[in-house]
Amino acid sequence: MVTGVGSVHGSTPPAAPLSDGEIGFAFQARRAALIEQYLTRTDPTNMERGGLHDVALNFAQGTHLEWARSRLRALTAKPTGAMFWMFPMVLTMHAGEPHLNDDDWAVIREAWRTYFPYRGDTENHWLMYYASIYLAAEIWPDLPGSEWYNGKSSAENRAEAKEYLLESIRITTAYGRGEYDSPNYIDPYVSALTLLVGWCRDPELQHKAQMMLEFELLDFAVENIGGIYGGAHSRIYPKHAIQPSLAASTALAWLLWGQGEMQLNGSALIVALSGYTPPPLLQHIATDRSKPYVHRELRRTRWRMRHAGPDAVEIAGLKTKAVYKYSYVTADYLLGSSQGGLLQPIQQQTWSHVWHEDKPLGLSNTFFALHPYFSALEGTMYFGADWDTVVDLIARSKVDYNSPDKLMSGSPHEQVFQHESTLIGLYDIPAGTDFPHINTFFSRDLTHRTEDDSGWIFAQGGESYIAYRPFVAGEWRPTDWTGLLAGGAGAWISSGHTEWGTGHQVYVSESPQNGYIVQIATADDFDSFEAFVNAVKALPFEFSLSPVATASFTTLDGTKLRATYGETPTVNGRRVDYDAWPLFDGPFAQATPGRNEVTLRHGDTQRRLNFRDGSINTTINSDDE
Amino acid sequence: MMLTTIRTLLALGLTGSIAFAQPESVLFTAAAFTKAQKNSSIPTDAGIFIHLPDKGWTPYGPKIQQVASASVDPSDSSRIFLACGNGIVRSTDGGQSWRMVTDWRVSDVTAIVIDPTDGKNVYAASGWGLVRSLDGGDSWESINTGIDERFSKTITLDPRNPSRLLVGTGGGLFESTNRGNKWRRIKAVPAGHVLRLRHGNAKSGVWLAVTEGHGAWLSTNSGKTWQPTAPSAGDANLYACAVDPQNAQNLAVGGWAVGVLTSTDGGKTWQQRSEGLPSPNVLTLAYDPNNPGKLWAASFEEGTVWSQDAGATWQDGGLDGALTNDLGFLTLADNTR
Repeated sequence: MVTGVGSVHGSTPPAAPLSDGEIGFAFQARRAALIEQYLTRTDPTNMERGGLHDVALNFAQGTHLEWARSRLRALTAKPTGAMFWMFPMVLTMHAGEPHLNDDDWAVIREAWRTYFPYRGDTENHWLMYYASIYLAAEIWPDLPGSEWYNGKSSAENRAEAKEYLLESIRITTAYGRGEYDSPNYIDPYVSALTLLVGWCRDPELQHKAQMMLEFELLDFAVENIGGIYGGAHSRIYPKHAIQPSLAASTALAWLLWGQGEMQLNGSALIVALSGYTPPPLLQHIATDRSKPYVHRELRRTRWRMRHAGPDAVEIAGLKTKAVYKYSYVTADYLLGSSQGGLLQPIQQQTWSHVWHEDKPLGLSNTFFALHPYFSALEGTMYFGADWDTVVDLIARSKVDYNSPDKLMSGSPHEQVFQHESTLIGLYDIPAGTDFPHINTFFSRDLTHRTEDDSGWIFAQGGESYIAYRPFVAGEWRPTDWTGLLAGGAGAWISSGHTEWGTGHQVYVSESPQNGYIVQIATADDFDSFEAFVNAVKALPFEFSLSPVATASFTTLDGTKLRATYGETPTVNGRRVDYDAWPLFDGPFAQATPGRNEVTLRHGDTQRRLNFRDGSINTTINSDDE
Repeated sequence: MMLTTIRTLLALGLTGSIAFAQPESVLFTAAAFTKAQKNSSIPTDAGIFIHLPDKGWTPYGPKIQQVASASVDPSDSSRIFLACGNGIVRSTDGGQSWRMVTDWRVSDVTAIVIDPTDGKNVYAASGWGLVRSLDGGDSWESINTGIDERFSKTITLDPRNPSRLLVGTGGGLFESTNRGNKWRRIKAVPAGHVLRLRHGNAKSGVWLAVTEGHGAWLSTNSGKTWQPTAPSAGDANLYACAVDPQNAQNLAVGGWAVGVLTSTDGGKTWQQRSEGLPSPNVLTLAYDPNNPGKLWAASFEEGTVWSQDAGATWQDGGLDGALTNDLGFLTLADNTR
């Protein structure tokens, strides 16, 4: 860990707001510290170890060049990984350019001529692929098709890549990202966009990429609690679900906004090497938690190949479904959710509660529940594999996919509804479904865990109090009783399992019709934990399981919530209006679907990104205060 | 003579652009080796493999992660098309060089057919629908008018009328009589997923379609009318079918947990022919056009087998560990002269 460069920590507002200059100075200090720290992990005596990010860094800095040349050749002799090879290779070519010699370039050139990388099957793959081929084709601007793996000339590759990249920006800023709000897959998005920001020579594409990078970072900043990406996620791995600070987003939060502690991460390194400096406004948005707020977002599922369903919509000829995100953000916690259902393949986190920690590394500061679901229906909805093989093939890399113990999953039998600090989950699991139970994760870092005779389970996480009321009583199990997580999904996902994966418990409740209430509160709002317990126990609450799960609950502030599985929930008798859900809506960000425009706000500063014409307008209005 | 040429090329390390003394129908598969895939989403090997008499299965063409099928222009065997996850990759020199001829709009391509009377007309099925080129593959356009469930793994062209196409989609069997401009569903076949379409030689008029849970369907008038066939396959997911190009009385269907069923009387009767198969989960089937009655079958990750007696006995054909997306015969050209 590096000290002295991350002066803005967590949610505690500074005594006086930092000036833009102070923010920029601190960012540059962290940037330099990250590069310095990253360099220390290079072992120049070990020619067998070190990835392309390290190679790029050493070429960029002019350090350990013999080692870098050796590793460059080793990693380029028989490339694998498709776009995951392409983008750090492009980083090497651009950032390392001052120290690449003719022989290095010959090795690199031959790889681009002969290695035919797969374009991938999801948005982050496509963005990395096209950003990389674009930038590579700018380095060699006039080569014929015979000099490229795909037979297209440099000009053809640039034209196709630019067209894709601009179209992906148009779709995302109008309808939201399909692979939305992923704490670990923010890495490839930031990496690819930052490469374009840092090195693209085409002014239009470079400018749009910079705007898009700001959009991505804003998306994280508004659902940021102490540097952790909170709320509902399209894709998350067990490691990051259980210990959120291990995700790439937290490494970026330290570099960009000084939150938490330094972690070495590829996308953070690319930001550091690119010369990109984030607008100070983003740091204010990411760190100002002086007032609780509701933030809503409209996102969408990945494109659905098959079984899109009657509620699917078509965008640019492709089918998808709306995702309604809702987050409640305070200085002490972030409770966030989506509406449930099959919104993403394999790795969906429908809702989560994350409490603030100044130094979250090593802590499991999260609470969530799910129905562990898998099916060929879900697999074939998003992938081209056959009905009878798709689950098996998915589980080759996502080994917990068809496990009853898994900790992230979408389910077509789940409906979630949130109003501020209260969340209701309802389940209607048909007979014959493989796992008719709910897994609710209880971290080892919770305190005061109490099972009350009333059926409520209470606990404290950081400065947040948690009340959880399962409709059907369950039993406690350890999280690691199957050992699945220890072996799953490749070493980078499962490494350090004993540190992050053990000591937690899961509350398993089994019933075809089921549900729960979650009520979160800030500890400061009560005289004691006991006072919170008593207050929650006194709240009006009714539920039934037949014919479908239904619940009525009055929250701590007196709001009356009602939800019935399969119906639109109500708040004080008014139906939630999903049809009017905004692309962004909260105190820090507003955007209307289909407009390709987003407005960032903090204090008296307003910044409007207009992706239609590429304009950026920043205004300061002292009358707003 | 042919074997000598192959051996020479192999000795020169030119396995990526194998050529033949004369255009030759060669068994091929588009496969991914998934059996050894552990803790990874990437197969240990993948691409097009052709079966050479003296070498067995040999990689062919560019090494690409996701290849679903390959097709050769019937009127010009130097023109080869690969159906890939990246799009469509084409060679116009018999496999000496390759070019990705589609852009970012086309991906997850599953099957390609080429007009035997005019090689400029090329049609492709994909996970996102159908595309067409009328200039030999230089440019492509979407052709999905009339189709809602666009996911498609199979497309075929009427050899008697090249303007007529049939395609199996997630929503049933569709026909176009105007080169894909418009499609209409063939309602005799249920509206479920049609997974594979095959036909015999033009004269026979015999066509087979197999489905996901809705049985096998037979046409004896080039796909104009259809009747259910192979009833013992029940409601299994049938991934494979084949019609012997030399004798359309020989038919085969295969699927998950049902192995292979064959008929030698044009579909009047069917025999269960799973004994001796390495697995009952059959994904692809093909009759050898050079060897009447010889049937190849590939099962999920358990390799290929072949039979010369309509499936009564099976011989090991190699390729253990592969998931075969397609199995068939390519007429590969001599391009060394």
